Formats: sequence, structure tokens, C-alpha cells
Amino acid sequence: MLKKLLTQFAFFLHTSKFYNRSKKRASDFLLNSDYLYKKYFDIFMILLIISSVAILVYEVKNPVPVWVDFFDIYLVTTIFSLEYLARIWVHNCWHSEVVREYGDAKFLNKKFNLWSPTKKILRGKLSYMASPTAIIDLLAILPAYRPLRVLRIFVLFRVFKLLRYTKSINQFLGVLGSKKFELYTLLFLLVFITVTAGIAIYVFEEKSNDNINSLFDALYWALITISTVGYGDISPVTSEGRVVSMLIIITGIAMISFVTSVIVSSFSEKLTELKENRLVEEINKEEDFMIICGYGQMTRMFLRHYEHEYAKRYIIIEKDKERVDEAIKEGYRAIHEDASRYDVIAKFNTDHAQVTLLALTNSDVANIYITLNAKAISKNIRVISRSSSERIAKKSRLAGADSVVMPSLIANRMLFAAITQPVMYKAVYAILTGQHLAQLDEVNSVYHQKMVGKSIKELRLKEQKLLPIGYESANNRAFIFNPSLDYKIEEGDILLLMGRHVSIEHFKKTYEEIGYVHA
Amino acid sequence: MFTRNAFLFGYNKKRRFIARELEKEPLNLILVVDDEESYNQAKEDGFREVIFIDLTDDELLENLKINDDDYLVCVMSNHYMNVFLTLSLHSIFPKAIILALSDSPHTTQKLKMAGASRIIDLYQVSANRIHNMLHKPVATKLIERLFSPEEEFSFKEIEIPKGSSLDHIMVDDFDFSKHNVILIGMIDKRLSHQFIFSTSGLENRFDVGDTLVCIGCNEDLERFQAFIGA
Repeated sequence: MLKKLLTQFAFFLHTSKFYNRSKKRASDFLLNSDYLYKKYFDIFMILLIISSVAILVYEVKNPVPVWVDFFDIYLVTTIFSLEYLARIWVHNCWHSEVVREYGDAKFLNKKFNLWSPTKKILRGKLSYMASPTAIIDLLAILPAYRPLRVLRIFVLFRVFKLLRYTKSINQFLGVLGSKKFELYTLLFLLVFITVTAGIAIYVFEEKSNDNINSLFDALYWALITISTVGYGDISPVTSEGRVVSMLIIITGIAMISFVTSVIVSSFSEKLTELKENRLVEEINKEEDFMIICGYGQMTRMFLRHYEHEYAKRYIIIEKDKERVDEAIKEGYRAIHEDASRYDVIAKFNTDHAQVTLLALTNSDVANIYITLNAKAISKNIRVISRSSSERIAKKSRLAGADSVVMPSLIANRMLFAAITQPVMYKAVYAILTGQHLAQLDEVNSVYHQKMVGKSIKELRLKEQKLLPIGYESANNRAFIFNPSLDYKIEEGDILLLMGRHVSIEHFKKTYEEIGYVHA
Repeated sequence: MFTRNAFLFGYNKKRRFIARELEKEPLNLILVVDDEESYNQAKEDGFREVIFIDLTDDELLENLKINDDDYLVCVMSNHYMNVFLTLSLHSIFPKAIILALSDSPHTTQKLKMAGASRIIDLYQVSANRIHNMLHKPVATKLIERLFSPEEEFSFKEIEIPKGSSLDHIMVDDFDFSKHNVILIGMIDKRLSHQFIFSTSGLENRFDVGDTLVCIGCNEDLERFQAFIGA
């Protein structure tokens, strides 16, 4: 009966949207570093920890008001306890496991055993509770137990909790983790030498040295000496003891330099990776950004002219290490990765941000592959691909590219215009390069609501020295050239104007008002 | 035979478009190449006037019968060669109009120093295009249509001929919208030889010999051209 009820309960949880959404949200806050609001949660927890430790230090010499004590014992502890429980809760999922095993059992015509998934989940939760971070969390709750004053020192475990909320410390530990083997070997060697030297000095000097009364004293001396700290409270008095000292001092120096070199080398190995991860994390916080694949002449030119407009909202992905170094040297934000790999593009925040990807490598095949890769990850990624010919452009469009750029075609057309229509070429060149004399710019009525409902005549463009070239209709997105003066702007229309930079900016300012953006 | 020549230095598949389009213009198109492969390719593609010479030899260049108002287009795939050729052509024919293709700001600068009248930087125009695509998609689409030979829209340069109905009329007094064309700007010979955008706020007058740049449908543009008597 109970088993049936529990199974039904598991199914209820499995289908409950509210429950699953809540769990997902909790998991985002606690674990998902890409989640936008996680950083606020982290900052809040860090502040709680700092306040708690500050109270501990202040308390040593001063009496604290009751409300501070109340804050420390109840509020901070309650929040820490809730966090601890929430972490255990989101660690794994009981109902999914029950539903899965129930389905399997039904499929195989076997008897369903509720204990099996429950045991699995409990084991998972217990193993989580035994992990160092979970133990720190638990110990950080203990200081609230006032009858035992000694437990106050556990407030310091709250400092360890900081590790959870600060990425750089985690990364530091991660780097050390990669040299686990070397560090463990050294630790083993350290323990071995300390113990051997400790025993040796104990045997040699226990009787003749007043300061060495136990094996613990001997081990303490050995560790202080090998670490080259040398307090001097215990020092050898016999020749044998001094020989042991000399030996472990030399070993100690060698070992310290070895540890330093291991840590430094692991950092230099991981530094680029860490920096690159930082860049990706930084860009993922932006609402819209650009991924530029390939660092060649075209990317260089693009960034030289427009980098200031994108500020920190772009990242270059380049396969060739030399080119990456070159880009970094130029001051651009580049990472050494292969943009055609799924996991490389997938680590960008394509769900919540407006991402534009420029496939600008000098290989058509690579550009098409990158386009396909990006579109496979998310249809929302806007892809502009470079191609060398019309045939390739067609393939790029088939692969899902939203726009295609053909450098040689554009240059050919410009060259042709420069020969056949030189006056027009100058005009177009000025317009194309956005010179201040004449710009072709568009004014979107969604962001400039005040012009909706007004006729072109009423906009008094001529007075402002603006030329209406046409508009893109909100209804069917068709471009209407040379609109009549009586045409009334509708919401969603995009008006195309030509004029000096100042005129256009003035016009935009006059009619600026953001309306509801239609999906 | 036309009076003006266009010499295209360098030929390959990528430059086929420009050669084909130039062929349609009232110009004598002459392709000049310095390697056998390009020569064969050009012949295969059906171009009649193809010259195969050593482009580093000034004497051979002098023999090309280039006139002062001819167009010299340097599109060699080797950019060292392109700069060298521009320099040679400029020293031999100082008055000729030299157009060159560049692939970097450094080459552009060198081509400018070598004497090219107009330089098109392959990547700069593309970089601009990408930027415009992102920020002004409607404007970019229009420009693309204006440039593509298959489209009904285009830019046109029209010179005001003698006896034109436009002669002595103030720009502000003329209604272009009636003709469904838009005046982008003009060269007012009376004032200067500089191009003036119609939005620059100057009061200009149309006179014989002025050059107008208009955009519109090809048909409307032709009708307008006929209207002003050009």
C-alpha cells in the first residue's frame, strides 16, 4: 500500500510543472554558473559569511548586542541550513529514477521494486554529504549550538564556504588538482622524511636534550626544520642530531623549490585555458554579442574599423595558435579553439542572448561547416558567412546562413562602378563607408514610436535636410521605394533616410520612444 | 570600335565578372596577362583581345597604345606585382586613370603612393558590408539591389545636355517624385567639381553640363533621362 502511494507520489512529482520548475530554479541558483542571477545569490552568501566572521572577531573583546547575536544564530544559520538542505535536494532526483525504473520493470514484465531506486538516490545523497564541500557546509551550521562554546571556532568553516562562491579560488584548486600526482608524491616524501628524521632525533637526543621529551616533540622539530621555518625552540645538541638536521634542511630546500616549480608550471600550463574560459564567461553575460570565426585579413579589417562599436561584445575563435597570438598582440579578444566543433559553440549562451556568428575563415568548406554547426546548436544564432563564389554562397544559404558576404563580388562591383560611373561611385562609397557627409540609415518605428501615424509630409524631412529613400513595410516586409508624401507610417515600418549624420541623429532623437516589440 | 579603352591587367576566375561586365559597356576591353594559364583561361572564356606580355618590361608596356583617358585596371593576384605595375603604368602614362584592387591597408597605401587614382580594398568593403548588414539591414539590402545588375533598381549618372528642360532650374523647385526617381546628389559645374549630396543643404541650380546621380527603377530612370533630353 505504502509502496503504491510512494510510486504514485513519484509520478505526481514527475509531472508537476511547479515542482520541477522550482527544483530547476534552485539548481540554477546553486550550481549553474551561467545563470544570470546566480552571482547575486553568491554575493548575498559572501556578505553573510563576512558578517558572521566579523561578529566572531568583534565578540572576542566586546559584548555584542542581542539583535546581532540573534542575526548570527538564527538568521545566518537558518539560511545556511536551508542552503545545505537545498544542495542535498538538487543533488539528484528521486522521482525521475523511480519513474525510469518503473518503466523498465513494466517493459520487462518484472516486479517493480521501489527500494532499488530509493537506495540508489540515498546512496548518491550520502556520498554527496560525505564530500569535503558538503562537510564544510554542515560544519558552518554548527556554531549556532551555543552550549558548546568551542563550536564557535567552526565559524571559520564559514570562511571555507567562500570557496563555493568565488570562482578564482575554485580555479586555483582546479589547477592544483591537475598536478595531483606530483603533489601527492611530494606529500608522501615529506611525511616519510619528517617521520624518519623525527624518529632519528628522538632516538639520538631523547636522553641528552631537555626540549625533546616525546616523539611528538621530535616530529614537531623535524617539520619545523624541514620547512626551513626553524623557530629555534628545539635544537639538536648532539653531533648525530646536528647531522640529521643538516640532511633534512637540504632536503627541505630541495622539496620547497620542487613544490614551487610544480605549482608554477601547472599554472603556466593552465593559464591560457583559464583566461579563455574567463573570456567566454564574460561574453556570456552580455545580452547580445558576436562570435567571429577565423582571424584573417577580413576579420582584421572588420575589427580595425568597428571594434569600438562592439567593445567587449565579441570574441574571435581561431584554430591556428600563431594567429591567435597575433590577435591577442593586437589587443583583440581571441581564443584558441575550433569553431566547427559542437562543444566550442555550445558553451556560448545561445539561449538567452542574441548571438551573431561571422564565419570569416578563408576556407569555404570550413565556413559552411561552421554555419551548419552553429545552426545545429541554435536556430537563433544569426550567421553571416563568407564565400568565394555565387555557387558556394548558394550552399551557405542552404546550410542556414542568414546572410552571405562575397568579398570578391563586392570588390568587383565597386571596381566596375568606379570605371563606368565614377561620380556615382564616389557618392556610394561615401554612403557605404558611413562618412558624415551622407549616410544611409534606417529608423525603426518600434523604437521611434512618435512617428507612427504621421505622414511622410508631416515628418518634415526636407526641413531637416533628410531624404526619404523608402520604407520596409511592417505588413509583408517588402521594400517600398520613394514613398508618397501622404503615406502614414505604421507600427513596425522601417524608414530609410539619407542625410548628414547630425540630421539623422537629430531626427532619431525627436521621434525616439520605445514601443512594444513584436516577436 | 569605341573611343575609350579599358585595360584589365591580370585575369583569373575571380575577375571574370568584372571582365564580363566591362565587355557590355561602350569600351574596348583589352585583357593583359603575364602568364600562360591566365591567357588560356581568358581565351577559353571567350575574350577576343588578350595580350600576353612580360609586365615588368616597360618597353612592352609603352607599346600597348594607351591613351590619356583610358582606364587601366590593375587586378593582378600577386600584390607585389600589382603595386609594381601601378608604379610602372603611372610613370609611363601619368594622365591615365589607374584603378587598383588591394587586400590590405598597407597595400592600399603603397598603391596610393604608386599613383593609383582609385583603390578598392577587397576586405575593407566587405568589412563595411558586414557592419552594415548588422546595423542597417534594410539599407544594405537596398544597396545590394542597386549594385546587382540583375535587379530593376539602380544608380545612374546623368549629364544635363544642351537644351534640356532642366537648364537654369533651381534644385528645390523641381519635383523628382513625379518621375519616381530620387536625386542623391550632383556635380554643380558652376560651383566646383566636387560632388554635392542633395541633403547637404546648399541651394544649387541645374545647368548644362552638370552631372546628376539618381536612383530609381531602371525604367523610370530611362524615362527621366529622356524627359530631360539626355
